[in-house]
Amino acid sequence: MTLHLDSVTYRYAGAVREALRDVSLEIGPGHAVGIAGASEAGKSTLCLVAAGLAPQTIGGRLEGRVTVDALDTSATPPHVLAQRCGILFQQPATQLSATASTVWEEVAIGPRNLGLALDEVIERTWAALAVLAIEHLADRDPDLLSGGQMQLVALAGVLAMRPAYLVLDEPTAQLDPAGTAMVGRAIEGLAENGASILIAEQKSDLLAALCQRIIVLDAGRVVGKGSPEEVLADERLEEWGVDAPAPVRLRRTLTAAGLPPELVL
Amino acid sequence: MNWLSRQFTTRVIVLIPIAIALNIVLGFITQTVLRLPIYLDSIGTILVGVLAGPIAGAATGAATNLIWQFTGITPNIGPFFLTAAVIGFLAGLWGYLGIFRPRPASGTQLVMAAAIAAGIVVLLVVPIIGNPTYLDPDLGGFPEWAVPAAIIIAILAALAVAAFIYVRRDLAGLWVALAGALTGIVAAIVSAPIAAYVFGGVTGSGTDVIVAALRQGGADVFQAALGQGFFSDPIDKVITSFVVFVLLAGLSRRLVSRFPLGDRLGPTSEPMPGSSADN
Amino acid sequence: MTAGAHPRGLPDFVARTESGPYRDLAPTTRLVLALSMALFAFVVRGWTGPLLVLALVVLLAWLARVRRGFVPYLLATLPFVISVLLINTFLYPDATDVMFTIGPVSATASGFTDAVQTALRVVAFALSVALFALTTPTNLLVADLERRGLGRRPAFVLGAAVGLVPRLLRQAREIAEAQRARGLDTESTIWRRARGVVPLAGPLVVGALSDVEDRSMALEARAFSAPGRRTVLRTQPEGAFQRAARWGLVVATAAVVVASVAGYLRWLP
Repeated sequence: MTLHLDSVTYRYAGAVREALRDVSLEIGPGHAVGIAGASEAGKSTLCLVAAGLAPQTIGGRLEGRVTVDALDTSATPPHVLAQRCGILFQQPATQLSATASTVWEEVAIGPRNLGLALDEVIERTWAALAVLAIEHLADRDPDLLSGGQMQLVALAGVLAMRPAYLVLDEPTAQLDPAGTAMVGRAIEGLAENGASILIAEQKSDLLAALCQRIIVLDAGRVVGKGSPEEVLADERLEEWGVDAPAPVRLRRTLTAAGLPPELVL
Repeated sequence: MNWLSRQFTTRVIVLIPIAIALNIVLGFITQTVLRLPIYLDSIGTILVGVLAGPIAGAATGAATNLIWQFTGITPNIGPFFLTAAVIGFLAGLWGYLGIFRPRPASGTQLVMAAAIAAGIVVLLVVPIIGNPTYLDPDLGGFPEWAVPAAIIIAILAALAVAAFIYVRRDLAGLWVALAGALTGIVAAIVSAPIAAYVFGGVTGSGTDVIVAALRQGGADVFQAALGQGFFSDPIDKVITSFVVFVLLAGLSRRLVSRFPLGDRLGPTSEPMPGSSADN
Repeated sequence: MTAGAHPRGLPDFVARTESGPYRDLAPTTRLVLALSMALFAFVVRGWTGPLLVLALVVLLAWLARVRRGFVPYLLATLPFVISVLLINTFLYPDATDVMFTIGPVSATASGFTDAVQTALRVVAFALSVALFALTTPTNLLVADLERRGLGRRPAFVLGAAVGLVPRLLRQAREIAEAQRARGLDTESTIWRRARGVVPLAGPLVVGALSDVEDRSMALEARAFSAPGRRTVLRTQPEGAFQRAARWGLVVATAAVVVASVAGYLRWLP
């Protein structure tokens, strides 16, 4: 049971340039894979393709094959895909439906859409809120939450669908430091509990803490892959437009100053 | 998917409430806050009609007025849902006919189109100034400056439309003006009985200045309502149609192409030079 | 992920039910009632229609404990009421029973009567809608309609549209404040007011439209296009009385409309 991209090339509707070129990727159960790269490198596109939103929902042309647990994403209805592969986007506010007056009702929307029995809907909603430790927000108005809280509510809404895989498209990009910490912690918790995650991020610190494997995209192509230690210490990071994580930058600064890098723990 | 559900894809379902809210907010600001003699409450309706078809447009229009009444910010807007539905329906027709598609042109064609469009705009004013009731001093009529003012406004508007067509080198402006004028005339005809029978011919907004002037000139309740409609509606719908036209031209091809009538707004399959929406 | 035991059911703030003679009615019943009253106010001409409806509205409002909520709705009718009182009193066509004259215009009794009746009619209409709107949160109404078969798409459109209006109004107010700092004036001549609309409308529209793509993706990711009926959270049992009452109202209103159009109600004051 894997999320598998096989030599995928993708072009948005009305675009000349291909957004992804010959990308292959596999995520097994319990694995966390990170996507690094400069902006416009194709990170978001890869997330949309992996979750099956491209090409079915947003159009465009896909070559190659994307399968989620052996289901071809181009041939499977979106609501079936949504139960296998959940996706979280950058902008917290546009992920909220604007039709729920409480966080609880907002999170319940996914299971309700599936037409599940009321007991099942209730169970899944409470479970999703509990996993992210946001039960105390259950009666709040989603419109009035902070960015980080909104993002957690959106994530709970995704988790309520009980997907096998989680795709996270720069989930902390539009959050302030407090929100980033909140969401980062929640995602790490999910990974520790064995979730299968594909996460795109500019902030490589989160990737370093979370992932067993990282791939680097540049202009839609995979230009680097390996463990976080290998990839994030690579000399070519700057050329790829990726910020190295804090400890690496610190090590480099020390080395440049002539001090032993082992000073960084 | 049958024809009906093809018009109501998820993207359309997302657009409609946004269009409704835009209609209400812009209409409220224009009519109640700024008290202008136009409405500006159909931008969303026409947008949905052009992108998603007549049924979606009509539904957006009708829902706008009903929800607007429900919010209570304007007390006499609900019964005009019929007018709004007709406007949305017509917009869907214009969408099918590709009225809002850019039609690049140059030279004589362009000049002729600009001239014709200017002519249409001037024609819209003729019913107002050509009516002897308004000019006869014994009947009260408009104040002295009304007729020259109307002529000047008409000429300015005509020049604006002609310039729009000429500067953008786009024939579509002519069709947009025509579509807007037709929609306005139909809207006025549908609204007049509602205004006259339900609301005593009064609107409670800036357009009442025109109603008063017409009544003073001797018109009865229905004639004044119709006359006010013929003044405000065509202008309002022409303005609105141009706004929608400019909006549509500014939206990315990628967004537009996924709407049911998106392909009638111009080629979307051929790649645009240098564009790749990506992250 | 670990679910754990969840003995909790539907949270109270979701399952809340209202009580009281009017609030016990299902939202759909209240809707039918509001529409019937509104139609009645318009279709029964003269004094009878508006006054009867106003009386009923006041009674129901008292039963439903609605008091100060009416004030904004009442205030919103003021521009119309003032307008109709002025225009129809002084400029009523073919009226000869002049009461007094100011300059070129004369106030007529029949004009004044018509003006007051129209004003009452609109106020009655607006308040019967207001009563419904004040006592019925949108998501309750939508849930009730869905239980009776409304599809998820219209349900979403209704809920989202009503929810978006206050948000857009807020944004518009913020834009207007910024514009006022740069010279847009809502009080001055018509030209300046007209010119002020564009910088206001532009950002509002573009901002609202830019979200369409993201919101559609988010909806799809929540299985919005799944087939079948959505699960309903609140079940509000209702007796056979309400169903009969709704149909009764519809038939009665239809009868009144027909009678009025056919001229049978002209004897009413």
